[in-house]
Amino acid sequence: MQEKIDALVGYIQQKCLWQFFSRAWDREENIAGVLDRTRDLLLGATPPVDTDIDRCHLADAKTLSAELRSEFPWVAGMRPDQLGALFQGVKETMMEIAVAKSRNGELYVSYY
Amino acid sequence: MPMVLLECDKDIPEREQHVYIKATGEDTTMFLPASNVPTIPGTLSERGCSFCGAKLVIGGVLKDTIQLIHGPIGCAYDTWHTKRYPSDNDNFQLKYAWSSGMKEQHVIFGGEKQLKKSIQEAFDAMPESKRMFIYTTCATALIGDDPRAVARTVMEERPDVDIFVVECPGFAGVSQSKGHHVLNIAWMNEKVGTKEPEIVSPYTINFIGDYNIQGDTYLLQEYWEKLGIQVISHFTGNATYDELCGMHRAQLNVVNCARSAGYIANELKKRYAIPRLDIDAWGFSYMAAGLRKIGAFFGIEDKVEELIEEEYAKHKPALDWYKERLTGKKMAIWTGGPRLWHWTRAVEEDLGVEVVAMSSKFGHQEDFEKVIARGRVGAVYIDDANEKEFFEVVDMVKPDVIFTGPRVGELVKKLHIPYINGHAYHNGPYMGFAGFVNLARDMYNAVKSPLWGLAGKDVREVA
Amino acid sequence: MSCTIINKERTGVINPILNCQPCGAQYAGIGIKDCIPLVHGGQGCSMFVRLLFAQHFKENFEIASSSLHEEAAVFGGLKRVEEGIEVLARRYPDLRVIPIITCCSTEIIGDDIEGSARKAARRLKELFPDREIFLAPVHAPSFKGSHVTGYNECIASLVKTIARKGEPNGKLNVFTGWVNPGDVSALKGYLKEMDVQALVIPDIESLDSPILPDKSITTYGSTTVEDLADTANSVGSLCLSRYEGATAATFLESKFKVPAVVTSTPIGIKNTDAMLQNISRMTGKPIPESLVRERGLAIDSLADLAHMFFAGKKVAIFGNPDLAIALAQFCHEVELEPALLLLGDDNSRYAKDPRIVELQETLECEMEVVCNADLWDLEDRIRNKGMKYDLIMGHSKGRYIAIDANVPMVRVGFPTFDRAGLYRHPIIGYKGAAMLGDQIANTLFAHMEYTRDREWILNTW
Repeated sequence: MQEKIDALVGYIQQKCLWQFFSRAWDREENIAGVLDRTRDLLLGATPPVDTDIDRCHLADAKTLSAELRSEFPWVAGMRPDQLGALFQGVKETMMEIAVAKSRNGELYVSYY
Repeated sequence: MPMVLLECDKDIPEREQHVYIKATGEDTTMFLPASNVPTIPGTLSERGCSFCGAKLVIGGVLKDTIQLIHGPIGCAYDTWHTKRYPSDNDNFQLKYAWSSGMKEQHVIFGGEKQLKKSIQEAFDAMPESKRMFIYTTCATALIGDDPRAVARTVMEERPDVDIFVVECPGFAGVSQSKGHHVLNIAWMNEKVGTKEPEIVSPYTINFIGDYNIQGDTYLLQEYWEKLGIQVISHFTGNATYDELCGMHRAQLNVVNCARSAGYIANELKKRYAIPRLDIDAWGFSYMAAGLRKIGAFFGIEDKVEELIEEEYAKHKPALDWYKERLTGKKMAIWTGGPRLWHWTRAVEEDLGVEVVAMSSKFGHQEDFEKVIARGRVGAVYIDDANEKEFFEVVDMVKPDVIFTGPRVGELVKKLHIPYINGHAYHNGPYMGFAGFVNLARDMYNAVKSPLWGLAGKDVREVA
Repeated sequence: MSCTIINKERTGVINPILNCQPCGAQYAGIGIKDCIPLVHGGQGCSMFVRLLFAQHFKENFEIASSSLHEEAAVFGGLKRVEEGIEVLARRYPDLRVIPIITCCSTEIIGDDIEGSARKAARRLKELFPDREIFLAPVHAPSFKGSHVTGYNECIASLVKTIARKGEPNGKLNVFTGWVNPGDVSALKGYLKEMDVQALVIPDIESLDSPILPDKSITTYGSTTVEDLADTANSVGSLCLSRYEGATAATFLESKFKVPAVVTSTPIGIKNTDAMLQNISRMTGKPIPESLVRERGLAIDSLADLAHMFFAGKKVAIFGNPDLAIALAQFCHEVELEPALLLLGDDNSRYAKDPRIVELQETLECEMEVVCNADLWDLEDRIRNKGMKYDLIMGHSKGRYIAIDANVPMVRVGFPTFDRAGLYRHPIIGYKGAAMLGDQIANTLFAHMEYTRDREWILNTW
């Protein structure tokens, strides 16, 4: 599982700009918002969309899920619980890299 | 490999915190260059000042606005004829530089009267122009002039004009970056929401952080039109002052340059709940991905796929022709900041070009997180590089081409390395699909030039 | 006829003709070998000037900044100057001269750069007992004068700081004024032709630098510390400009009794005559026949152009005052009419400049001189006041006026970034006069063709 998590994290690190927003709270919101919806889409579920910001996360999730399907074909064969665990792991690692362990000194500046 | 102290920096060991060479298995939680911190005096850094970040990068792009600089003449002179951003208003913004021409008596007695007269004269000289930015400079900030008060009186006397004041002297912050910030936030606070745009499409965006360099905005505008998307504001390529007052009405902010304009996108998200979608407008796969996300947001995926298919059919063969010839070439990027992360993978994926060294003048750590995540192992990543570091890094990584400004370009020319104007382009636009083919063409023309072979030959060596 | 001298009526500036003092000081500084100017101010004050030089010369020059940030602007920036000097000295082992150039900010906060220079000099003595690094304070507040005065100030400071009394050297000091590498090549040619040993201050011929097989970079001026030191021991100083370098020449006269002759820029036949005769007078060397021939060649080629193509054409001229005034004199020689002369700073001496006075007396056409002018003074006349000019002569910052009004324009002066290679082409001396005449004529010819204005005249020329 760890290998799979690392593979996805490596891919997302290279491809996705939403993880690098200027402040910690934006990054957390985006990581959860995009990754949860990506997981839902891969599971064939309809992700919840209430606001325009949700819609934006869904737009990113649609692109990402399509890319993951073609880059990592094994994703399609995973059971829902495996996929859930995979994305939980990815999310945790992303939070770690982009927020908790980030060396970016500006993440918690209170204004933009 | 951790942070690196270059040989040329042995007398300024602080520089170790700014130079990084990426090794396998490393990520940005282990090493991240210090950035957006003061420059060491006397190092021959590449940085400009915050005034220029506001005026030259963002404000000066507006096609209908008088850009009056309150200060001695140099600040106006120096930020005129240094950019390649055209407009469909007969390039008004390229032709003029306005200054209050501050002299010694104004330093002593205050420059507000001078400023007021200069404002009136500028509006009188150009009666068709009703919009103005005023910038403070080192001199006028230090003597404590109040340009806002002056602007208010003029606006009372001339109800048809609107004036926006940017208080961003050159010594503020540590680089251009501070100027971007000041202008973004001030515009948000004072002008966004003061005018209502006419909405003509169910799909509306602001396109943020594109300055119409050699027509980038025009090129992307073709896509928006084909997709039926209304761009309420271009921030600030080919834009008008009034257009930027209506940013609050867009459904989506599409951000290209997150460094110079991320602030306003963040504020629009915070205050108006407009989502921020960051994309890369350079490169085929990036541009396509960006368009797909926009399509997904509006539910117009079919139109987007059609557009991408059309564009690929039109331009991909040319791109591949260049890719065949450029694959394996080594490139360095020495620009402001964001183009490092916009380009490092784009040129590799689309053109097979390896980016071996990158230097940022004013990027923040956020930019280094992006570029290190995307960039190659073994590549050199430098914040606020200085001239001696450039030489050392060139020796180290031996690039075939360097994307940088014309001045540094003149320098590397002596080392038999061609440069491409990484700020203003050689023959752009470079954004979008057609644009990236232009970039490839310019790179190919530069590296294949027979002159570089001739340069290395010593005519005295007679066979 | 009449000549009016007025000041610009407006208070503000729309499209400046001249940059501010620090730019000029940096231009002077790059002419010295083993010299890196340190600009004490915001980073833009050096970065943009470096870009401007790159635009003009298509070269990169080493200029440092003290990187004045907010804290220094409030509490004083001297520490940053001292640190900057030390960093430069440590990292550039060949460095021998640092002009310390102030800007508006550092003059307003009142940094004592003389004090800093003394302090830094002591520190350098400790660190590098075997090196002598000259620190030349240059006061260049941007709110005074223009890049012209900044240039003058820096040359003066370099000479004041470095000139040392020694044995008489039999050489002639020649202060070039603000010219191009091509002009310095031409000037050195004349000196050689007259067998005169000279100290050219600053010798910027080498600012046009080659790409070499061994990749060495030689983009710096050629005037050495020894040259500057030796200016105190010369037979005289010839300053080929009234506003760019004269202070240094007169300083050498008062301090070291080196007689100074401050004269016009040798643009056109008469001004070149004056230069050669001054050189001859000051050194006792005769003017050789070869120069009589070169003079004749110039007159010969100008005569082909003057009555037929140039006569009666109204010319608007702008740029550095020494250049602009000399161009007006040249126009007079070749029958062009200098109708408008724009002098871009508030120096009150221009109205009494002997060359202006002479033009007032000798011109048969109307000439307007605008002091403290900007380029709107030209655009406004063309766009709104019905003035017609047949030719514009000036630097590239005026290009849009010419383009929009469809007036032919000869690029001359600084900066000229929208035409190739002009820094290489002399406009001084007889040869320069001939080449300038050619350039004017060819510009007019191309314009005649594009506008179908009697283009058939050229059929049989």
